[in-house]
Amino acid sequence: MSRKIAAALVLFALLTASAPVLAHAFLDHSDPAVGSTIPTSPAAMHLWFTQQLEPAFSSVTITDKSGATVNDGPASIDSSDSSELDVKLKRLPAGTYKVKWHVLSVDTHTTEGDFTFSVSGG
Amino acid sequence: MDPLFILTRTLQYSAAALLQGIFVMWCVIAQPALRQMQGTLALQNRFDRWLLALGWTSLLVALASGIVWLILLASQMSGVAPPDVIPQGVVRIVLTQTRFGEDWLLRGAFIIMLAACLLAQTQKLRQVPRWIGLVVAAAFMASLAWAGHAAAADNLPYSYLHLPADLLHLLATGAWLGGLLPLGLLLAAVRRDGGPDGLAVARTAALRFSVLGISCVGTLLVTGIVNTWFLSGSIPALVGTLYGQLLLVKIALFIGMIAVASVNRNRLLPVLARGNAEASLQSLVARKLSRNAFTEAGLGVLVLAVVGIIGRLPPGLHTEPRWPFPFQLDLGEVGAGALRVLDVAAILFVLCLIAIAIQRRRYRGMTVSLVGVVLCGSIAWIAVRPGILPAYPTTYYASTQPYAAASVARGATLYAANCTACHGADGRGGGPMAASLAIRPADLTEHIFAHHVGDLFWWVSHGRGNGVMPGFADKLSPDQRWDVINFVLARAAAVQTNTVRSQITTAAAAPLPDFAFQQDGTQNTLSQMLKSGPVLLVLFVGPAPEARLKQLTDLEPGAAAGLGVIAVGLGKTPKKAPMVVQVSNDVRGLLMLFRSANDGGETEMILDRNASVRARWTARGAGGLPDADTLLADAVRVARIPAAAANHAGHGG
Repeated sequence: MSRKIAAALVLFALLTASAPVLAHAFLDHSDPAVGSTIPTSPAAMHLWFTQQLEPAFSSVTITDKSGATVNDGPASIDSSDSSELDVKLKRLPAGTYKVKWHVLSVDTHTTEGDFTFSVSGG
Repeated sequence: MDPLFILTRTLQYSAAALLQGIFVMWCVIAQPALRQMQGTLALQNRFDRWLLALGWTSLLVALASGIVWLILLASQMSGVAPPDVIPQGVVRIVLTQTRFGEDWLLRGAFIIMLAACLLAQTQKLRQVPRWIGLVVAAAFMASLAWAGHAAAADNLPYSYLHLPADLLHLLATGAWLGGLLPLGLLLAAVRRDGGPDGLAVARTAALRFSVLGISCVGTLLVTGIVNTWFLSGSIPALVGTLYGQLLLVKIALFIGMIAVASVNRNRLLPVLARGNAEASLQSLVARKLSRNAFTEAGLGVLVLAVVGIIGRLPPGLHTEPRWPFPFQLDLGEVGAGALRVLDVAAILFVLCLIAIAIQRRRYRGMTVSLVGVVLCGSIAWIAVRPGILPAYPTTYYASTQPYAAASVARGATLYAANCTACHGADGRGGGPMAASLAIRPADLTEHIFAHHVGDLFWWVSHGRGNGVMPGFADKLSPDQRWDVINFVLARAAAVQTNTVRSQITTAAAAPLPDFAFQQDGTQNTLSQMLKSGPVLLVLFVGPAPEARLKQLTDLEPGAAAGLGVIAVGLGKTPKKAPMVVQVSNDVRGLLMLFRSANDGGETEMILDRNASVRARWTARGAGGLPDADTLLADAVRVARIPAAAANHAGHGG
């Protein structure tokens, strides 16, 4: 019996080449884009993740150079896409802003990260 | 890793498996075995008493570990210390607002229902049939799937198979693994109170359990392979990450359990099933079966402990795999003919192995199969030899820096400071120091895409050729080393690209790095543009070629193949020109690589959706720049080129 299992495992090893997997929620892309410079103040920040999120434990904080929070209220999950996190922004003067995200995916794993974007004109 | 959380998970899985196993035992194994025998009332009473005690204990363990799991998870989700999660209301939020919470409430309801089922058994209420308990216990086991990775939807082909595979895996675990301890108890009870018909009860139960076991093992094998595929996904991830290695430990324990089970089935069961064997021999066999069931159950608990640990780790592909072997198999280096030979040899190899496995005691047949195995192995070895290359621990690492203009620009600066002396400014290996070296520095513009980026990373970090090339691990951070690699790859891609001609090529050049640009005040990237179709990249120096750009403007909206145009001025551009996009200096430096001095004032290239250049025209080249009809026809052809298979190992692979 165990030899049959060994044969099956050999077959499995032969068949397995590569298959991409993402089971944690990582940032897929954002608007404004990561590291981008945009001419005018955006009305909101949208972040798309690789996984569905739990709204109760997912948050985004956006701060300016001095560390003051510039998001207008807490982040919310998009009603049509539960892997999208949206947050409204106050009017942003020219400068560089730091986005810190902390999310919980539906498979109960927490991930976090940060990036910056810049506004070139007021 | 958190030992308390691991213990909690192990206990929850074990208790759930046992509860399912107890009801499986009652309904499909013990009841039918006991019913056909006369005078086994004492045996039946003792067995029911033992199973009930085991059932109540399991239920309490399930309840307690379920509560601890919930508290620990709530603490982890919120960052609040475990003693404070209930007073601060975090547990309530978890229970009412998360998918895990929904699952846990449902499992709480199952615990209450199971308590009712056990109570009915304790009170001997015959009108509450045991199969209700079996259904609830199975649901209690299967609902563990929603506490794991399978609950999350992956954007993968066939990902809809993940959840069903997980459910079946759990149910098979409950029926087989959870049933081992109750089976051991039944066989032990037979020894105490068996009476004259005890051995017959043991025989029927063992035979029935054996059939159940085989179907469960088959299910576990198939669903286990499916789950391994989804969560580990590649051999480097399996052997090179803690997650994958624990999975291999789990598989080894599983094989150990199967080895014990096969002794039961092939050696012990036949003796028990023989009607005319001596009673003393048969009771010895029954004792051995009982002992083996407990041994298997012990191995099973170890399997569940590994599951307890694994669930707390990120899946295999979320950490960089450290390749443990000094060699790798690169099938890209094996010729097409040799690959076909390899396929046939592999199939024959497996067939021979299966033949050996089923030819019990027929030694001549076994010898023939063994010769077949050796022969296939040798042929496969010869076919595969060219593909066996040296490998390093970092071979299957993926770049931490995206293959994009910013990283390439940082890499260019680092390259100039650290690499030019030997490899030369053009990367062809002819730097000022090159002549004094024992080994000529590698040409970094050719052949480089045949290596994994992880191999390049190892060479940059630790050097090559017995120290002729020094390692830069002390001098450059890992991110900086990836930047240098991105620059080297981008330049090699440029060298390939600059040989592409005006006829559409089937052999793709290496892809362009991604870059951002601004058009009419909006930000866009090459990768974003390529999602909607091929892109025509127009590079020019000197004043903007306005007549040509006007021609392309007229063409753009009508492009059937969704051809996008990006026009970039690499010299001093006038502020306002139609269609010309603004780019940073990093991007300008990157795109300069993709022009050569004798291109004339303008270079145009058409990119497929993988960012590989398929055709390239220059103002000074034969035939000049393409007319609108040629461009549209080419765009249609390039649009038909399929996207490259997703490759998580990075872009260079």
